[in-house]
Amino acid sequence: MNETIRDIAKPARPDEKRAEPKVSVDVSHQFGTYVVHDRLQFSVRENEFLCICGPSGCGKTTLLDMLAGILKPSRGSILIDRKPVDPKRDNISFVFQEPSTLPWLTVRDNIATGLRIKRAPAALIRQKVEDIIDLVGLRGFEKYYPHQISGGMKQRVAIARAFATDADLILMDEPFVSLDQPTRERMQREVLEIWEHRRRTIIFVTHNLEEAVFLGDRIIILSRKPARIAAEYEVSLARPRNPLASDFTALRAQCARVLHELQGASSATDANQ
Amino acid sequence: MTETSNLIAELAPGSGTEKRTKLSAVLLSVAWNAVVLGIALGAWQLLTVIIHSPFFPGPLAIVSSFLNLAVHGDTFGHSLWEHSWASIERVLVGFAFACVAGVPLGLLMGLNPRLYNYTRVVLEPFRFIPPIAWIPLAIIFFSGLTRFAFLIFIGAFFPVFTTTFVGVARVEPIHRKVAMVYGASKRWILLHVIVPTVLPDILGGMRVALGAAWLTIVAAELAGGISVGLGRMMTNYAELVQIPPIIVGMLLIGAIGFLMNEALLVAERYLFRWRWQVEL
Repeated sequence: MNETIRDIAKPARPDEKRAEPKVSVDVSHQFGTYVVHDRLQFSVRENEFLCICGPSGCGKTTLLDMLAGILKPSRGSILIDRKPVDPKRDNISFVFQEPSTLPWLTVRDNIATGLRIKRAPAALIRQKVEDIIDLVGLRGFEKYYPHQISGGMKQRVAIARAFATDADLILMDEPFVSLDQPTRERMQREVLEIWEHRRRTIIFVTHNLEEAVFLGDRIIILSRKPARIAAEYEVSLARPRNPLASDFTALRAQCARVLHELQGASSATDANQ
Repeated sequence: MTETSNLIAELAPGSGTEKRTKLSAVLLSVAWNAVVLGIALGAWQLLTVIIHSPFFPGPLAIVSSFLNLAVHGDTFGHSLWEHSWASIERVLVGFAFACVAGVPLGLLMGLNPRLYNYTRVVLEPFRFIPPIAWIPLAIIFFSGLTRFAFLIFIGAFFPVFTTTFVGVARVEPIHRKVAMVYGASKRWILLHVIVPTVLPDILGGMRVALGAAWLTIVAAELAGGISVGLGRMMTNYAELVQIPPIIVGMLLIGAIGFLMNEALLVAERYLFRWRWQVEL
């Protein structure tokens, strides 16, 4: 792996095992002449919970679309299990920032959508949906339509849909940004709980550093465009993490400093975002 | 997760009470419609007493004319059923062709706006030629069922086509993206994302088209050339200056159209139970 020079305040733990990465990213992307990513490189271990932070407009959504295989990078590649990502072959799930439940389907059918597209047998679909519905606390709401439930519940439907398939990779794009603080905290705990129940590789994009430190095994901070890795931290704090503990707040402050510097440097060109 | 189970207890309504309120709402609606109908008929009958003219028959005269037509047929030897069915058949055939052509073409053009942009100089002017303006040509080129089906097709096609076409633009990119992430084929996206989104518009267009179809059929039948059809029956009696059978024809058209519309409404209510009620 080509190690680029990074601004590493607290060096990331070198990959002791150096096992095959689940996901390896090495992409450059531009829209016309507008460079979004220039040789952005990182890899994700199997079952790792990776959080990606960065100043607004650093191309996180573009990166996630490429990781999902629905946007082709201009140059470079994204490999899952050493093969180029392909949504038809790989099991990828995506929890979007905006409401993404399909309004004409019931809660149950919404959760089953991924499995249906993957042509899972009906019995398996029924069982998987049954399993996940308790985990996200939607028992009793199976036959409701999205317009009959709250925004937080809709987002839980989207999360259940993402975890119902045996996803190799779950991408989450600021999934809790539209929720109020208590709901947000509960959802964070719930996602961790689900993730601990059924280990998956998760890439979680967030603006909220507390959220990143609370959730992630590792945090990557992207620079502004063309986005590169500005800093990277392994989070070795034991779970469940206490946001008030001194090592928690120290790491969060460190991330905030890096982000603040990046934001300062970018404020001049932020207007075009 | 205890918070969540509390939430369920709070939110999940007893389905029994929900059903009961729904039933009483339906009964209330039926009752109101019956009352309004009664008042309208009463007022009408009262007016005929005041005006008292053979050219202004009351509801009772209409009912007796209807019974007479239904039992004995018209003065020309055709039964009321024959007239009605002739019109219904023409409407249904023309309307069916309009849907079969309008929905796929609307989807195709909605999904390829360029196709519409490049062809609309030919397509759009047809929308403004009323179906009635096609009657002379239809009389020359077609006869029988074909003539009427053609005219109704002209009248019903554009409401279906245009609403389908416009509806495609309502598809949310995020819904398409959800499907793409799981590796859905284009076919899957069409059937499970685009069609469900556009279906309410299609049904709405079909209801408008049904109105246009009845408008066309009566005009076409009035133009003559056939022996049966409600429009035909009305013209026959106009020549005899007999008013009640004409009004029977009018009311029958209204009643049949109403029933067809109700059938579409039932389909809508079933298909779109996922939609929310808009309130102002």
